[in-house]
Amino acid sequence: MTPGGPLADLRVVELAGEQGQWCGRLLADLGADVIKVEPPGGAPERRVGPWRRDEPHPDRSLSFWHYNSGKRAITLDIESAEGATVLRRLVAGADIFLETQPPGWLAALGLGPDELRGADPRLIYCSLTPFGQDGPWRDFETTDLVQLAAGGQMAQCGYDEEDNPDAPPIAPGGGNAWHIGCHFALVAISAAIVYRDLSGEGQHLDVSIHEACSLTTESAIPTYFSTGRVVRRQTGRHSAWSMPRPRTQYLCKDGAYINAMFNQRISPERVRIFAEWMDEYGAAADLLDERYRDARVVEESQEHIAEVLHAFFPRVTAEEACRGAQERGLPWGAVRSVDEILADPHWEDRGYWVDVEHPELGESFRYPGIWGLYSDSPLAITRRAPLVGEHTAEVLAELGLDAGEIESLRAAGAI
Amino acid sequence: MSPEQSRQSPRSGARALEGVRVVDLSWVRAGPWGTRILGTLGAEVIKVEWPAPGSVHHNDRYTNTGRPEYIEPNLNNSHWFSEKNVNKRSVTLNLRNPRGRELLKRLIAVSDVVIENFTSRVMQRWELGYEQLREIKQDIIYVSLSALGHTGRDHPFRTYGPSAQALSGMTFLSGLPGEPPAGWGWSYLDDTGGIYGAIAVMTALHHRHVTGRGQHVDLSQVGSGIALSGAAILDATVNGRAMRREGFPPGNRTHWPGTPRLDNYRGPMLAPHNAYRTAPGGYNDWCAIVCRDDEQWRALAGVMGDPEWARAPRFAANDGRIEHQEELDREIEAWTQTLEKYELAERCQAAGVPAMPVQSNEDRVTRDPQLRHREMFTELPHAGLGPMGYQNLPFRGSAIETSSRRAAPLIGEHNREVLCGLLGLSEQELGEGYRDDSIWPEDLPIEPYLEAEAAAGSGAAS
Repeated sequence: MTPGGPLADLRVVELAGEQGQWCGRLLADLGADVIKVEPPGGAPERRVGPWRRDEPHPDRSLSFWHYNSGKRAITLDIESAEGATVLRRLVAGADIFLETQPPGWLAALGLGPDELRGADPRLIYCSLTPFGQDGPWRDFETTDLVQLAAGGQMAQCGYDEEDNPDAPPIAPGGGNAWHIGCHFALVAISAAIVYRDLSGEGQHLDVSIHEACSLTTESAIPTYFSTGRVVRRQTGRHSAWSMPRPRTQYLCKDGAYINAMFNQRISPERVRIFAEWMDEYGAAADLLDERYRDARVVEESQEHIAEVLHAFFPRVTAEEACRGAQERGLPWGAVRSVDEILADPHWEDRGYWVDVEHPELGESFRYPGIWGLYSDSPLAITRRAPLVGEHTAEVLAELGLDAGEIESLRAAGAI
Repeated sequence: MSPEQSRQSPRSGARALEGVRVVDLSWVRAGPWGTRILGTLGAEVIKVEWPAPGSVHHNDRYTNTGRPEYIEPNLNNSHWFSEKNVNKRSVTLNLRNPRGRELLKRLIAVSDVVIENFTSRVMQRWELGYEQLREIKQDIIYVSLSALGHTGRDHPFRTYGPSAQALSGMTFLSGLPGEPPAGWGWSYLDDTGGIYGAIAVMTALHHRHVTGRGQHVDLSQVGSGIALSGAAILDATVNGRAMRREGFPPGNRTHWPGTPRLDNYRGPMLAPHNAYRTAPGGYNDWCAIVCRDDEQWRALAGVMGDPEWARAPRFAANDGRIEHQEELDREIEAWTQTLEKYELAERCQAAGVPAMPVQSNEDRVTRDPQLRHREMFTELPHAGLGPMGYQNLPFRGSAIETSSRRAAPLIGEHNREVLCGLLGLSEQELGEGYRDDSIWPEDLPIEPYLEAEAAAGSGAAS
């Protein structure tokens, strides 16, 4: 086994805001040396909560901690000539440059893909932006919510009309437009790395968050292409044009929900397995009856069987329903919140959590997570997120700047 | 001219994964979505299927989602199947038959990658766990995509998209306070799981390039999903704050009026930050509008025509707007309902205010000028379906191709090419496979385009 992840030999310079910081974090998990370039005073993402002990502070944002662990950071005013020169030198020593600036902005500073790739044809220059580098919407302003509206997520998430006729389309939380964009930026970068291994050539990657979101809606677009139908929202399950699909989400004894999809063709054997389970709670109704050994009877009694199952859920907790079903071969899942996930020993077994040291606080905290087990190049969170400008002197010294040059950059306000 | 300048379209170019051969044992969604990405990037993806009636692969090809209603279903005419399997080859092998399994091993021996999304112990049961795969091909890259991974006490769990999302915390993030979770209207973690599968393959290829060694990457779809709630997890592990609480999740807002003001894990706390009804009031006539700061709020007020109500001091600063959000949203919506959603978004954007229409699947295909400009969709021919629209990858590379080239393969379309051309079977051996249940199911009629190769070596052939 090699120490470090599969990208341990690569260096990344990240000039990314909220749209791209997750991509940099995944690259750091994969072993790359990620150097985050922030404006003097620190990135705006440091002003996003929640904060440790609810105290706003640029080095205490838990959101920033999560999205930037494993990275080093320097502060640099790239709009100054001195700062731009430092960035150019920094990128010249890197394999990958990840940026999320408005299209054309870096080129105006002499830091566009043509300039930087001209200096180093092996460079992988990845631009991740809301709509890509061209097109009528190129310069539109977005946020996570606004991207989920345009991308199609909201049109697919929400409630059954008969339950909640006034409900709006729902944009799930968590910042997932940014996640989706970052996942495809990482796909693009990974492909460019493999291509460079083969050809020796770098390239410019132009990743569109809008395209990434639109692509990440499963059957919606193919449904339109093949049937011309618009999909409609359904609580806790797939949107579809053929309404309604059977419900899948049920309230359990503990106030939590279970996501329980019933197979349309439940077999007599399965009815027996479930009936025996439900009988332990006195909730089997007539399902243990001999007649349910006949496949045709089961087929004809689908609705009744479903009703008995629904009446069963209020007698068990969501976790009991989930484990009971899994033990009996059904793919049900409890609708867990973070609270239950942290308490689930499975993830500890898998080494999913990482206790990350915060030497500045003299404490360590539990982070997620090792998302993949690479047998020969294990992933890791090697350090907590950087403090503002924490590695400025260290990184500049690695570039070969001496103390005098660093001091004059400081005096000029470039770092 | 450089190769970059001579390209016909910004989506054409070299194949990033040229020369990479992938044995694809996956099914349903997550695995096929990952290999679709690899295939579009130029890998030679060989999809191994067993289309016996009732089998998972048979059902996969019969899924009715996305099939024109006038078509009688068969193995080769689901657009849903075709869209998720572009740029692949199809080989039929019976992995429960010793000869079928032997052919699979021969295929693995000349391949770079094996990828599958079965439950956690299926490959071991077939004696195709990582150790055995290594014996077949020493530097093989093996990527397994399962619900909870191959290790850990609950590894046998099986899920489909919505239950994986439930277990990962993703479902809980979505909805209105006091209502059941709205969840995700598609298998978000199948898509995401597939993407991580593709990333695992490509990063492991780089590692092999550097070290000469392959490896097993054991991915968990649910684990990939949990990490997407990182800020909420740290709020729990650092601050001891529970996610089950009043006012969470706050719908499309960053904070739900009348509840304790706590973080929503989506970004900064802002108002306005919501979806608003637009004219003419149809099912998807909604527009999302956000003001990131007071300046954008003043710009929005300008777009609205500087109404009297918007000048009230309680709306001047973000904190006040959050506090008086019900009133704020009501007033904004009274205005938005007078405009059509694209017109509304354009007006806001012209003033620098983030706003976009809620777009349905139809909107994205027929109305979205950006996706059209960027050539997100492409039309491809298909023998079973005729010409139909397909999606491209959501990025361009200056050196590489990122568009879909070929619709999904017909079942068994590449049997002769792969089994004879690549593995060196004789025509007669191939024909025998159609008769001994190793290459074609005994109880399934042979497709017309396979009849000639199926007849080879039988009396009927000569």
